[in-house]
Amino acid sequence: MTTDMSTRVGALSLANPILTASGTFGYGLDLADLCPPERLGGIVTKGLSPQPRRGNTPPRIVETAAGMINAIGLQNIGVEAFCRDVLPELDARGVTVVVNVFGESPAAYREVMARCERERGVAAYELNVSCPNVSAGGMEFGHDPALLASLTAACRAETAKPLWVKLSPNAPDLIGTGKAAVDGGADALTLINTLRAMAIDAVQRRPVLQRGFGGLSGPAIKPIALRMVWEVHWALPSTPLVGIGGIETGRDVAEFLLAGASAVQVGTAVFRDPAAPLRILGELERFCAGEGITAVGELIGGLQWPC
Amino acid sequence: MIARRDLAARVAIVEDLTPTCFRLELLCCEPVAASPGQFAMLRCAPGLDPLLRRAFSLAGVRSTGDGTIVEMHLKEVGRGTALLRRLAPGAPVAMLGPLGNGFTLGIAPGQRLALVAGGIGLPPVLFAAEMLAAHGSAFDLFVGASTAGELYEVDRLAAAAAVVGGELVLCTDDGSRGEPGFVTAALQRRLDAGRAYVRALACGPDPMLQALGRLATARGLEAELSLEEPMACGVGVCLGCVVELEDGRLVPSCKEGPVFPVSRLAARWRA
Ligand SMILES: Cc1cc2nc3c(=O)[nH]c(=O)nc-3n(C[C@H](O)[C@H](O)[C@H](O)COP(=O)(O)OP(=O)(O)OC[C@H]3O[C@@H](n4cnc5c(N)ncnc54)[C@H](O)[C@@H]3O)c2cc1C
Ligand SMILES: Cc1cc2nc3c(=O)[nH]c(=O)nc-3n(C[C@H](O)[C@H](O)[C@H](O)COP(=O)(O)O)c2cc1C
Ligand code: FES
Repeated sequence: MTTDMSTRVGALSLANPILTASGTFGYGLDLADLCPPERLGGIVTKGLSPQPRRGNTPPRIVETAAGMINAIGLQNIGVEAFCRDVLPELDARGVTVVVNVFGESPAAYREVMARCERERGVAAYELNVSCPNVSAGGMEFGHDPALLASLTAACRAETAKPLWVKLSPNAPDLIGTGKAAVDGGADALTLINTLRAMAIDAVQRRPVLQRGFGGLSGPAIKPIALRMVWEVHWALPSTPLVGIGGIETGRDVAEFLLAGASAVQVGTAVFRDPAAPLRILGELERFCAGEGITAVGELIGGLQWPC
Repeated sequence: MIARRDLAARVAIVEDLTPTCFRLELLCCEPVAASPGQFAMLRCAPGLDPLLRRAFSLAGVRSTGDGTIVEMHLKEVGRGTALLRRLAPGAPVAMLGPLGNGFTLGIAPGQRLALVAGGIGLPPVLFAAEMLAAHGSAFDLFVGASTAGELYEVDRLAAAAAVVGGELVLCTDDGSRGEPGFVTAALQRRLDAGRAYVRALACGPDPMLQALGRLATARGLEAELSLEEPMACGVGVCLGCVVELEDGRLVPSCKEGPVFPVSRLAARWRA
């Protein structure tokens, strides 16, 4: 039996529920030899800002138990270079491209989107309002529902394409920020970004990362991500969700779909195994076949609880 | 560019080289072409601990009847290297490689390279020495370790140098073998004595590379340093391994390096 793997995130149809997470798959072509992006549901680009960003001073990464902490600081090539050098080939290959947008002000977010709107090949936008590793922009939008609603509305005005807002697990009120994004015009919510975290070198008596703090990702955060996806799904049942956090296997994907996600993104797993998104897709297909599932969409929100 | 792949390799040999270092040879079914200075990312265990792969320089690649043997030399410093040291022959190891850029080996007739290694920086330098010897390109070798017991593969180094009439200079920090003191001081003595090199190629601990960067810059000698930044992906997508360049840019070492001409690097590698 073959399972229909297609899914929808609101108005956007995807060939399968597996996307790559922002910041873990470059701009979509970097690993094309090891994991052809056109075979995935889609790719989410590294966060793009109006101008190239240098990012934080190293050390920027440290491994922790079943996870890692990063403080990259949104180093990126800038929207112009992306549109000029990368997007045409992604489009030619038929890749479903979600542009992850970052700015230090609402005007900067709009600038990135306005530049992309002049090109073909962008399927959707994902607003990064949840990066724990930059001082301006990022988390401050994601933590304040009123600010987030107005930022989302400003970005909504730039495009008719699907607009996703990526929620911060560090926000004091997850559901309040999710509602604010939807009120501002978001078509879908993606969650979660990394959890603010710290590693300490006991001998040096210093933080390991140059910035002190960073964002925790990987299998260690999966149970928290699942809980948050479920909570947001429960509070906003008609809002499509994209689940992220520590996904390593096809079965992990099934868990996120059951919790209410319509699709997922694979992040840190790519660092262990550059072909992880494709491997995970194969595992999900086998899981569905084993469970007698005819369409993967049957899993979405199918958690048997509370009954 | 030589194509990178995620190879399903198997352990051929694990054997101690010194009290802290061991040789790991992996057998791949496919042909592997690599150049000295390139590295591979090895998965140390099948589960989630350790989560990330570890980067190791290639010490050599040779084909056998069964496929290709990829040689690496590892120093046990933590959990990943300890797990690899305990692998038995036949154990599967995922190996992503070859990655990175490698040293510039080309020289004209009459020119000579200085190859400089400190500690566990030897693998890419040994690989370079054996490849240069096979091509008949001249070089001198400067190999340093903390103490006599940590010097290894001396016979192979001597044999490679002998092919091209090169000198093998051994140094130990404690003076227990070879010239006492650092390899960079030994190189400086050769330069002072009028020996000329077209380029120095080096791998080793940061202080050694910085000392070489200073010496090379002062003497107008071109030098390429193989740097060791913490890496998560090894393939340019996490941006965790960045190195600061002369112009202030931060570039991923796994992709634009790990070998950098010292003139391209930020001033701290020269001052
Ligand atoms: C391009 C590149 C090439 C490399 N080539 C080699 C090689 O040929 N042979 C080799 O043995 N290693 C090499 N390394 C270093 C190797 O990747 C690390 O030693 C390894 O990741 C350590 O893993 P672990 O799990 O054993 O240690 P971890 O558990 O990650 O670390 C344990 C402890 O060791 C310390 N540590 C980590 N790395 C090093 C290090 N390099 N030196 C000293 N202490 C360290 C950590 O700070 C920590 O305190 C290379 C690294 C890079 C980036
Ligand atoms: C090295 C690194 C860089 C990241 N960069 C971005 C980014 O630019 N924009 C963004 O929205 N999220 C970024 N993230 C967060 C991931 O997209 C994802 O939300 C998070 O890592 C959790 O998923 P995972 O556990 O599967 O990695 C980054 C994560 C990592 C590990
Ligand atoms: S290790 Fe990930 S970019 Fe270099």
